[in-house]
Amino acid sequence: MANPGHRNDFPDPPSSPEDESSVISTRGLEAFGRKVTTTASHLIAPLGDPTAHPHYQSAMTEVQKQLRRPGLQRSVFSMARTTPTDLVRSTLSAREIQSRALSYVPDEMLTNIPENENSYSLFQGFQASFPEFTDEGKKHRRRVSRGRKLLEEGESGRVEGPHAVHKLRKEKASMMHQLEMLGIRKNMASSEIREIDNKLANLAGMRKIILERLANLEQEEALLEHEIVEVEGRLEDAQELAEEAESIALQTPTRSDEDVASERGDPAGFMSQSIYEKLPSASSTPSRPKKPRNIRRKSMPILHEHFKPGTMIRSMRAHQDNITALDFDAPFGLMVTAAMDDSVRVWDLNAGRCIGVLEGHTASVRALQVEDNILATGSMDATIRLWDLSKAHYDPQGSQFGKDDEDDGIAFENPDDQPVDPPAGSMGDCPLFTLSAHLDEITALHLRDNVLVSGSADKTLRQWDLEKGRCVQTLDVMWAAAQASALSAGDSTWRQTTRAADGSADFVGALQVFESALACGTADGMVRLWDLRSGQVHRSLVGHTGPVTCLQFDDVHLVTGSLDRSIRIWDLRTGSIYDAYAYDHAITSMMFDTRRIVCAAGEDVVKVYDKVEGRHWDCGAGIAEAEEGKTPAVVERVRIRDGYMVEGRRDGVVGVWTC
Amino acid sequence: MTQLPYAIDAETPLNPAELEVLRMQYEKEGDMVGVQTKFNYAWGLVKSNTRTDQHLGVMLLSEIFRTSPERRRECLYYLALGNYKLGNYAQARKYNDLLVDMEPSNLQASNLRTLIDDKVAKEGLMGVAIVSGVAVAAGVIGGILLRNLGRKR
Repeated sequence: MANPGHRNDFPDPPSSPEDESSVISTRGLEAFGRKVTTTASHLIAPLGDPTAHPHYQSAMTEVQKQLRRPGLQRSVFSMARTTPTDLVRSTLSAREIQSRALSYVPDEMLTNIPENENSYSLFQGFQASFPEFTDEGKKHRRRVSRGRKLLEEGESGRVEGPHAVHKLRKEKASMMHQLEMLGIRKNMASSEIREIDNKLANLAGMRKIILERLANLEQEEALLEHEIVEVEGRLEDAQELAEEAESIALQTPTRSDEDVASERGDPAGFMSQSIYEKLPSASSTPSRPKKPRNIRRKSMPILHEHFKPGTMIRSMRAHQDNITALDFDAPFGLMVTAAMDDSVRVWDLNAGRCIGVLEGHTASVRALQVEDNILATGSMDATIRLWDLSKAHYDPQGSQFGKDDEDDGIAFENPDDQPVDPPAGSMGDCPLFTLSAHLDEITALHLRDNVLVSGSADKTLRQWDLEKGRCVQTLDVMWAAAQASALSAGDSTWRQTTRAADGSADFVGALQVFESALACGTADGMVRLWDLRSGQVHRSLVGHTGPVTCLQFDDVHLVTGSLDRSIRIWDLRTGSIYDAYAYDHAITSMMFDTRRIVCAAGEDVVKVYDKVEGRHWDCGAGIAEAEEGKTPAVVERVRIRDGYMVEGRRDGVVGVWTC
Repeated sequence: MTQLPYAIDAETPLNPAELEVLRMQYEKEGDMVGVQTKFNYAWGLVKSNTRTDQHLGVMLLSEIFRTSPERRRECLYYLALGNYKLGNYAQARKYNDLLVDMEPSNLQASNLRTLIDDKVAKEGLMGVAIVSGVAVAAGVIGGILLRNLGRKR
């Protein structure tokens, strides 16, 4: 039974590499090849275990089916360059076929083989990492205590000459080998480092792409929110109309006068227990329940958290003159800046555009605060003005489709650009009322929950009731100082500190109020803690040797900055100093959030102290621009919220950074 | 020092503990496994005597081939060797011939080529012997059957 096909059973001598491609030239194999190229190319993409992919498994079973059917009839014996067992295996056993497919290498890869430029082969690497596998390696291992061995050899070498020479030669050869191995291992390590670098670069690229995606999402979110707000406004209007039609609406908002101070505070502490317990911790501050508001954002922007700390988000020339005060309500929210040029501007931090100019003050604003919708500004004209920012006419959408069309939300504007003039009268409805009782310029103010306190160069602090718009209490700092000195025998009288020689320091440098607790830092370097219910100083914190310019407290600590160049952190419960550090120049502004204490310390960078890591670092224009030979203006004011930092400089430029 | 192992090297299996060390190393590095570690494990597997290990080893080698172009040339050889050990002579020859074309002076590769040729010739002969034996047997049986049929008639 001579089958003509059997003639091919004899393998051809390896003479014709041309017909190499026709290893098993059948249709079944072609189909297999196609399938495998697709699966293989699919496999190349992910680095992980290929068998984990369900598509892959299903493709594999298909391959097997395809191969089994026609393969059996056509190609069992039609091999050109291999043995029957190989052929039978490759066509019949499912396991074999699967493993072949897994280890298949597509032809285009086979043709694309670069020159070997590696300093060592993988096999050498293998040998080097496991020297004990090779015979020579075993010798090395035995030669751990080489020094001693050499000594022994030295002794014996004198006795038998030729043998010692042979031995030494062998020693030398094995040492050379060891040296070679070390070289290879060195190369291995360095190439591994290069590999890791590549991976890091890849990951960084991926991160960048995703960051861009996040930026786009936030942009969309902001737009959508704006639309929602618009719809809400219309809804409100419609409801109002409906209510008016009913015309029997009786609305008297009942405001329970909560804790109007019955208990006297414990005189030893800064605040009475009742207030102290209500102090929000620093972490809970941003998430206060808020009444609906026009420009308030519903979602938290998180983009800045993913930037590298110290990255500039935006920089803009807000004013032409020294920034005297600034504040913002939330990351990518609203910012208000005031400068020596007597103007107060409101900004949309998301778009980096000026919303409007607040007009009314006749002199420059020295202190301001944004709290919810309400803006309080204290000016050198001795008045405090309150504004309702929600009444501003501003259309963020219009701005984005107008001028900022081509750059996405995080694009940096040229800081030297002139601010785009906002439409006139956009802030026309904002002014609420004016508080005028101080006799001299307002240098500090703080606002919280309808309580406003202000400090003035007339050496008094005033407490205001925002419901009625009247001054409800005046605290005389000089009187308090005199009281204290009378009690403690002249020890803590008012005395001008040595550092305030130029007299330029504000009498009241900083203020913060929480319900009936008030902290104020003054030019004598003292920090006084008042109880607004009794109107008396509970405690004085002595330590600063220069005028206090800034202070802030949370539920545990009070942080103060002074012209004496130091930052002091006080423990509120004990009144003792908790920590202190100093910079090279006077501190002009300071603020902290949950993690960082940021300071403007007379430099072109903002000084950041990371409380968690206990690390000091600089953030700001001074770092990048120092390399270009430029020296940006000195940072005058700084504010931070949730790692989103805004700084105002002496030349009127405002920079926004992640921290 | 030799850049590439000779085929003999692939025939000497590691002991299980050593292979285990390589495997641990490979698994420890997880998704971000380095080429050298992968190769070490793959080579250990190829040296093994069990077929499943060899399969896995060849698979890993082909992964290295796919993912790191700078290693392709030497990987050709390891793939050829692995497939040779598996008895996949067609594949082994394909890879090895590619390498020999590029590096005619490669001793290990030409050594492997002769080894493959020998093996194929030997097993091919054996295969022919078996097949022809079967054919002869079939012929004999057929003849007997025919004869029987003829007798019945």
